[in-house]
Amino acid sequence: MSAISTPPLAVVEENLPNDRRRRRGERTTRIRGTRAGFWVYLGLAVVIVAAIFPYYWSFLIGSGDASTLNDPNMSWIPGGNFIANAITVMNNPAVNFWPALWNSIFSSTVIAASVVVFSTLAGWAFAKLRFRGSKGLLIFVVATLAVPTQLGVVPLYILFSDLGWTGQIGAIIVPALTSAFGVFWMTQYLSQTVPDELIEAARVDGASMLRTFWTVGVVAARPAAAMLFLFTFVGAWNQFFWPFIVLDRQSPTLPVALSLLQSNYFVDYSIVLAGVLLATIPLLILFAFAGKQLVSGIMAGAVKG
Amino acid sequence: MTATDTRATTSPDSPAQKTERTPRHIMSFSNRLSRWDLKVSPYLYISPFFILFVIVGLFPIAYTAVISFQEWDLVRNTGTFVGLDQYIWILSQEQFWVALRNTFSIFILSSVPQIILALFIAAMLDRNIRAKTFWRMSVLLPFVMAPVAVALIFSNLFGDNHGLVNTVLTNIGLPAIPWHKDPFWSHIAIATMVNFRWTGYNALILLAAMQAVPREYYEAATVDGANAFRQFWSITLPSLRPTLIFVIITSTIGGLQIFDEPRMYDQNGNGGADQQWLTITLYLYKIGWGEFNFGRAAALAWILFLIIMVIGLINLAITRRLVRDEGGRGVVRQRRRLRKGAHK
Amino acid sequence: MNSRAFRRSAAAVAAFSATAIVLAGCAGGAGDSPSADSDEKITLTLATFNDFGYDDELLQEYMDENPNITIVHNKAAISQDARTNFFAKLGKEGLADIEAVEVDWFTEAMQYSDLLAEVPDSAKGRWLEWKEAAATDPDGRLVGFGTDIGPQAICYRADLFAAAGLPSTPDEVAALFDGDWNNYFDVADQYKAATGKPMIDSAHSVFQGMVNQIEFPYDEPDGTVVATDNPELEDAYNAVVERAIPNSAYAAQWSDDWNASMANGEFASMLCPAWMLGIIEGNAPEVTGWEVANAFPNGGGNWGGSYLTVPANGKNVEAALALADWLTSAATQEKTFVNAGQYPSVIEAQSSPAIVDSTNAYFNDAPTGTIFGERSEAVTVNTYKSVDFIKYNQALQDAITRVFDGLEDQQTAWDTYVAEVEAF
Repeated sequence: MSAISTPPLAVVEENLPNDRRRRRGERTTRIRGTRAGFWVYLGLAVVIVAAIFPYYWSFLIGSGDASTLNDPNMSWIPGGNFIANAITVMNNPAVNFWPALWNSIFSSTVIAASVVVFSTLAGWAFAKLRFRGSKGLLIFVVATLAVPTQLGVVPLYILFSDLGWTGQIGAIIVPALTSAFGVFWMTQYLSQTVPDELIEAARVDGASMLRTFWTVGVVAARPAAAMLFLFTFVGAWNQFFWPFIVLDRQSPTLPVALSLLQSNYFVDYSIVLAGVLLATIPLLILFAFAGKQLVSGIMAGAVKG
Repeated sequence: MTATDTRATTSPDSPAQKTERTPRHIMSFSNRLSRWDLKVSPYLYISPFFILFVIVGLFPIAYTAVISFQEWDLVRNTGTFVGLDQYIWILSQEQFWVALRNTFSIFILSSVPQIILALFIAAMLDRNIRAKTFWRMSVLLPFVMAPVAVALIFSNLFGDNHGLVNTVLTNIGLPAIPWHKDPFWSHIAIATMVNFRWTGYNALILLAAMQAVPREYYEAATVDGANAFRQFWSITLPSLRPTLIFVIITSTIGGLQIFDEPRMYDQNGNGGADQQWLTITLYLYKIGWGEFNFGRAAALAWILFLIIMVIGLINLAITRRLVRDEGGRGVVRQRRRLRKGAHK
Repeated sequence: MNSRAFRRSAAAVAAFSATAIVLAGCAGGAGDSPSADSDEKITLTLATFNDFGYDDELLQEYMDENPNITIVHNKAAISQDARTNFFAKLGKEGLADIEAVEVDWFTEAMQYSDLLAEVPDSAKGRWLEWKEAAATDPDGRLVGFGTDIGPQAICYRADLFAAAGLPSTPDEVAALFDGDWNNYFDVADQYKAATGKPMIDSAHSVFQGMVNQIEFPYDEPDGTVVATDNPELEDAYNAVVERAIPNSAYAAQWSDDWNASMANGEFASMLCPAWMLGIIEGNAPEVTGWEVANAFPNGGGNWGGSYLTVPANGKNVEAALALADWLTSAATQEKTFVNAGQYPSVIEAQSSPAIVDSTNAYFNDAPTGTIFGERSEAVTVNTYKSVDFIKYNQALQDAITRVFDGLEDQQTAWDTYVAEVEAF
């Protein structure tokens, strides 16, 4: 978990990401040879097909009707029912779609933002600040990830019902505000990507701890923070068991609400899958925004600002 | 292209410079503040996390620990102390050992290909490709898919009678595979579900770390004549060490706790009539939420914890051995020498 | 986005989340104020699963008669979810004012009968004797309002039967199946000989039919476990393995394939309790050949049924008891039969004209009211289902599945089952 041995600043200064060089009009030779070749694109295409195919298949079923799933001769062209099925989902009285959608968006955003903030703070401390017990504490935190959480729902429920928070969105948000996983991730990332020299330089120039954190840590953490935000958001979005237990049916989150489309007996999967795809759309929008953050380089930010 | 941090305040009479001239036993206030800052802030930085963590993270864990030594009644919230009885019961159950076998099998079948594939995909995404955002986000699409949809798709894919895979196999003359009867094949199918979901995720984690590797290293290596593979092995991997450790540890923990996929594999969610794909967490769920025997389930949770600790440490040791922390010393050192000579 | 802008937005995000956390906490704190005296507006929550036939119209009737009451109806998707929710919260806060409990897990709930409110004396006595007895705890308190029962008849595909050279009108088929299980299997053999396909839907449904005719299959009220040496049980197991499995399309029910088979004819008959009719119709809306025969091996059997319970620590126990009383009155049970095929457990309802004369259009106007009435009367055995019933039953069902899948043979599967039972 120690930082990689880094070259002295003299070399670091030259380490700008290629897109910035390009912007200044210089010719660049990317490290690993020239432009990515055919084989890379082919490999990526295979990966993409494997990733997108299930969505397409869901869309096929979701645009059909109840018998489409079991139809041995199901065609590969979508039927025309998707909008109709989606509307059925949204209007289904048991599902409470719009409150559920809002609850999911609100809770996932707050959770993801909070996890990123707290994890960056703690990760910075574990990675770059020396203090007594840091190693032991970190190991302890990571070790807690190894305890299965299926039973933890019960004491949490008792705690929250004593607080009177059952049925409130706060009961979903508060338990998820911190994440051992997030702390571990930021720790590893920051320890890998921030050379100690940068911090020393800042300290030598008289920056306080907070200032150092703000100017070096937060900036270096940006791609990792964006990633953590995405992952945490998606994880919170898809969470089922705890919201199922603690929220009531009038204001659930989306996975709980959509589960009501199923039943012990007869399930119309075209409706279910239309609902599932609907629930995925906000996530895809988030992807489009967050994706940008993962593209640009890091070191330049720390150096130039 | 100056290196110095333009944002750090540089005043002519900075306290730091002052200290060099003042004798040590006279400390200015700002100096003391700075020392205090150095000592105390780490604890301040981690405290928001820890305070919340103790309340909502540690509390359920402590509860699980306490009831594992009891015969616990979920509804009445009381129990009688039975010492290690619950642990002994679990260890003497054949289903436990079968579940352990299944868990390891699925774990190895999923983690190993996943990490290799993730490294590979990350390396591809790291290259100079067009439409970077599109490719990178698409890789994450499987992670986003709701569990119910994944379950539906894969049970249709791996259905014993009408599944797509079996249909293709029989069409080309091979025998159909008993996906839901044979333990090994069920593990393959479940591992496929797991890999589908998590490979892109791990690839992006590795990608983020790969992007942070200074390009200088690669340029130097190219000049020195190292090919792509050598560069990957000697530069990329060692630079990724902390992140690789992260990926391996989280994959170990996650892989030994696989729950959703085996549960969705058939409509009963019990791991198969002969426990063919019963994993430890699924067994835990059966005992806890199926029979409401929380004391036993808690004991199983802690047994799993111990197993994960052991395997995690082993994996950590392996990773440290395999991936040296040299940061591509050999190649870069030469480069540094060259640079220093040519540097203006 | 350059670094400065990023850090500004990072600060904004941090501030936002801090505020949101505080707000969420406040929202959590501002809970519900306790309701005051009676005649104040009361909101009652009713939690059911699947389909009890309590549709909005029906509930509106009650709300019209009792203007100060609002009913909120929560439906869990599946019975297992309702069970998880019920036991996680029983004795604590969070259960609905009225909770529906399925007979499968009702005995588990009976362990905590002191946490359930007692049925008022005015309501007692209206249900079938065995239905009420199963909901009475050792102290004599009746804690469950019986909703439906599941008397079984035989549903079959008339078109497939005709194609196999078997009689196909409901009366003929009723005569055909009138007899014991061996007779049933003989007919199945006949069907297979004629068409090469299995007649029975699943081995588990046959097994269920047989077990529900044994009085003490797995254990006895005093606690003695007979699961491993009950001759009736072993006979049932052997009969299923030897005669049902070769004639069954599936081992278990409720898989997607099994659902699809109702439409595509992979099996030609199934044992069907009253609540199964809606499922067949839902899965095979285009098929016209399904019929109901007024027969069952050994006369009759009951499968399923539920109760309404009122948690004793609820906020509106009195009002909840009144609502549950109304929901399980004879009049309402007549309506739920029409709504959702829930055959009533209230004696008065069973003989009411609305039920006796009712027919089911999908099943070619079969007189389902009469059919299930007669099958219900033919039920002679009330199976004792202890707290551990599910465990034992599941273990033996798994054994049957293993034999069906060819993983173990008849004797080995039984031995494995015995070993599992002894480990419990």
